Amino acid sequence: MPFSKLDTAAVARTLSQIAEQADDVVDAFFERREEVELAPEGDPGGLRVWREEGFAVRLVREGLTWMASRDAIEARPFAESLRQVARAISAASYPEPTLEVGPPDPVAAPELLDFPGLLSRAVRAHHVGFPLRVAVRRHRRWVQVVGPRLVAGAESESFYSCAVESSWGRYGALLPRLSGGAAEEIAATAVALFRARQALPPASFRGPVVLAPHTVAVLLHEAVAHALEADTLAQGGNPEAAVGVAMAAPCLDVLDDPSSAPEGVRRTTDDEGAAAVRRWLLRGGIVEQPLADALWARTSPVLLPGAGRRGTRHLPPGPRSSHLEILPGEASEADLLAGAAEGLFLPEASRGALDPLTGEFALHLPYARRFRRGALAEVVGPCVLRGRVADLLTRVVAVGAQAKPAGAGWCAKGGQKLPVWATAPSLRLEDVEVAP
Amino acid sequence: MSDLDGILRAVLKRHLSDAEVYVKRGRSRRLERTPVTETASTSQERAWAVRAGNRRASFFAAATGDPTPGGPWPEPVPGHSLELPEPAPLPAWSTPSDFDTPLIGEREGLKLLESLGRELEAELPKARLLRAVLEDGSSEAELANSRGLRATTRGRISTLYLEAAGPGRPAVSASLYVAAREPRRFHPTALARRLADRLAVSAAGAAPERDGGEILLAPNVASRVLAGLLPLLVGPGPGSRLTGARGRFGGDRVTLIDNGRFPGGAFEAPVDGEGVPTREVVLVEEGLFRQPLLAWWQEGAAHGEASGCARRPGWRDLPAPGPTHLYLKPEPRTPVATLLGAVSQGYYLIDATGPGRFDLATDRFALPVCGFAVQSGRASAPVAKAWLCGGIGTFLKGIVGVGRDLTFQPLDGMIGSPTLLVTGLELRAVAGS
Repeated sequence: MPFSKLDTAAVARTLSQIAEQADDVVDAFFERREEVELAPEGDPGGLRVWREEGFAVRLVREGLTWMASRDAIEARPFAESLRQVARAISAASYPEPTLEVGPPDPVAAPELLDFPGLLSRAVRAHHVGFPLRVAVRRHRRWVQVVGPRLVAGAESESFYSCAVESSWGRYGALLPRLSGGAAEEIAATAVALFRARQALPPASFRGPVVLAPHTVAVLLHEAVAHALEADTLAQGGNPEAAVGVAMAAPCLDVLDDPSSAPEGVRRTTDDEGAAAVRRWLLRGGIVEQPLADALWARTSPVLLPGAGRRGTRHLPPGPRSSHLEILPGEASEADLLAGAAEGLFLPEASRGALDPLTGEFALHLPYARRFRRGALAEVVGPCVLRGRVADLLTRVVAVGAQAKPAGAGWCAKGGQKLPVWATAPSLRLEDVEVAP
Repeated sequence: MSDLDGILRAVLKRHLSDAEVYVKRGRSRRLERTPVTETASTSQERAWAVRAGNRRASFFAAATGDPTPGGPWPEPVPGHSLELPEPAPLPAWSTPSDFDTPLIGEREGLKLLESLGRELEAELPKARLLRAVLEDGSSEAELANSRGLRATTRGRISTLYLEAAGPGRPAVSASLYVAAREPRRFHPTALARRLADRLAVSAAGAAPERDGGEILLAPNVASRVLAGLLPLLVGPGPGSRLTGARGRFGGDRVTLIDNGRFPGGAFEAPVDGEGVPTREVVLVEEGLFRQPLLAWWQEGAAHGEASGCARRPGWRDLPAPGPTHLYLKPEPRTPVATLLGAVSQGYYLIDATGPGRFDLATDRFALPVCGFAVQSGRASAPVAKAWLCGGIGTFLKGIVGVGRDLTFQPLDGMIGSPTLLVTGLELRAVAGS
């Protein structure tokens, strides 16, 4: 832990000097990040290493936020930053707490070197062979948040990302660890995309669709998690007015729980040092607890902090989801595909987009499969599932009995790119529109 | 600045033939306004990057702080070769005076954002800004490589992101993102008018099922189409794919230029991210394909001369070829009103409302747009949720009029175009081939 030697008490005492009013929010956010990437074969910079550390000091007073950040963890820049956020005259001096942090570890990531080979073998095991450009990266991050009265425990995250490029497209995944299973998961998706490369998009379709866990995770990340972020809700009015609204079918229970995320990315506190909450976003389809950070939680007693996340020290935190959990139902795979009507099975989603003002939603699908009379049939090409969130989510009629880790990916909002994780079962929706 | 030579010597002791050290210092101010929050932040960054390798193996390391000869450096990985450029004579260059202007002040910046909200409401009553973010920054970088190349550069750039909602419920929304060398070049009235136009046509407009005619593309739309064509213009690969038997790439009004020294440009610099001198490169001249944009190490792989076009947005990035200021040459004597007056039946598309789809293999593109239907040179009805569709070759060969209002947009580099009058394209309700 790089911050084990950080004198957090001294930092807290220093911060208390600028918290002049009772309602002031003051904190210091220290972070260290390390990323190590094995570039695709032939690209320059074979092993690529990025290391950074720094801090941000923040003062929030009467709805206004002042923040100063630096690319160093040193006493003088820290005092300078305090002076900046306190908007004090340049002659004003603040104490310079000793900011000692541990040295970085030596650069070593042997697990990255083996993964492209593991992936190639996993692809060949599907009895196909095609050229792939593989980049695999290890992400590590350590965070320490200090307030004038409260010092949160240090947090750390470690995970991997893998980007696979071929002549028919690009596929990316986030992985808690690199293993044979992770290679097989990526290989299976790459092979499915390869086999669907010449499939024609379906004609406009309205009917039943079954979403695999990965697609469910992307759908609910966009349509529930983003829609219930306090700042997104505020675009349309008062965020607390969302509480109690029936947003989805009664069979849908959706939580955000950073503490049950995959090992390596589990969090007990958020990026503001507040305790992470097992938060029911939807209980029985009804909105229970929108996502809020410290600032939004101050605007209403209904909103709880604990979902403040920041992509970098140079940007202020905002309310975001970390680990979405969709509770399983009782439907077996056969139940989900059953029925006389022909439908579409949606195994993968490449991206989703929500217009928070109109509620219009689009989920882009790189390929799909038809199903009829309980069995999967031919593959169809790229298509888009469209609808209005409030309408779409009420069309969920069955929830699969098996939830599994799925849909981990990068989420970008407001210039901040964050990893997001999910555990989801399959879902069946009726009377849904899918168009080419 | 750091002892770059000492670091180069230390890295080269590891049996590597090429090494490069890049050091960057920057500072920025970021101001954000939403209907309920106001944030002012300042950042100071200092960081470095080292690339080193030989014909067999290489590594890249980057970190905050100052580089030290001791590293620690990663082991070079075989299968990833690295070569670096030789020093080259630097054409005369004088640093633009506005590089020295201080960053915008907190009050001044917040006032600018506040005035944008007011102007928007004046243009379109009950419209409101949902989010406005102004970022203003400056930086200096120093670069040295083991072949004797030394370079220093400075940068100055401001960006403004605006997101607005129109009147009514459910409200339509629109956003725009612009970049300039300094914030004083952002004109609140013009930006507010652009947002208000977008909101007004989006609220009232509809898309034709399928229609053609003469189509006038505002610079924001034309730039988006040009950005979609970049894979044809950058690197030795497919540049000539769209050229006909006589080397014709587009109509004779099409002259495409990239210029890393574009006067007043957001990325104006004497050298690129590897220290290679930048210059003006004519890629397409009066419809004839001259050459693609080539980095020094791509010279010989395609017809044409290399230029300094390896972009390096920050210390975290490896240099990669790309345009800095790529634009379609304007026609200085043609005002937009003349082009609009020439449209007997067609459309005036004022903005792109999302990312386009470009399939270079099948020569098709589709771009979501909004604007107006035009009859006899006058707007007759708003158009929204429409897709501009057609062939890429058809677009390039169908440009029959070029305006004088060259405007750049921050896309993949700064991509610029004046208003264009185009024939042969279609407007559709659904994107399709």
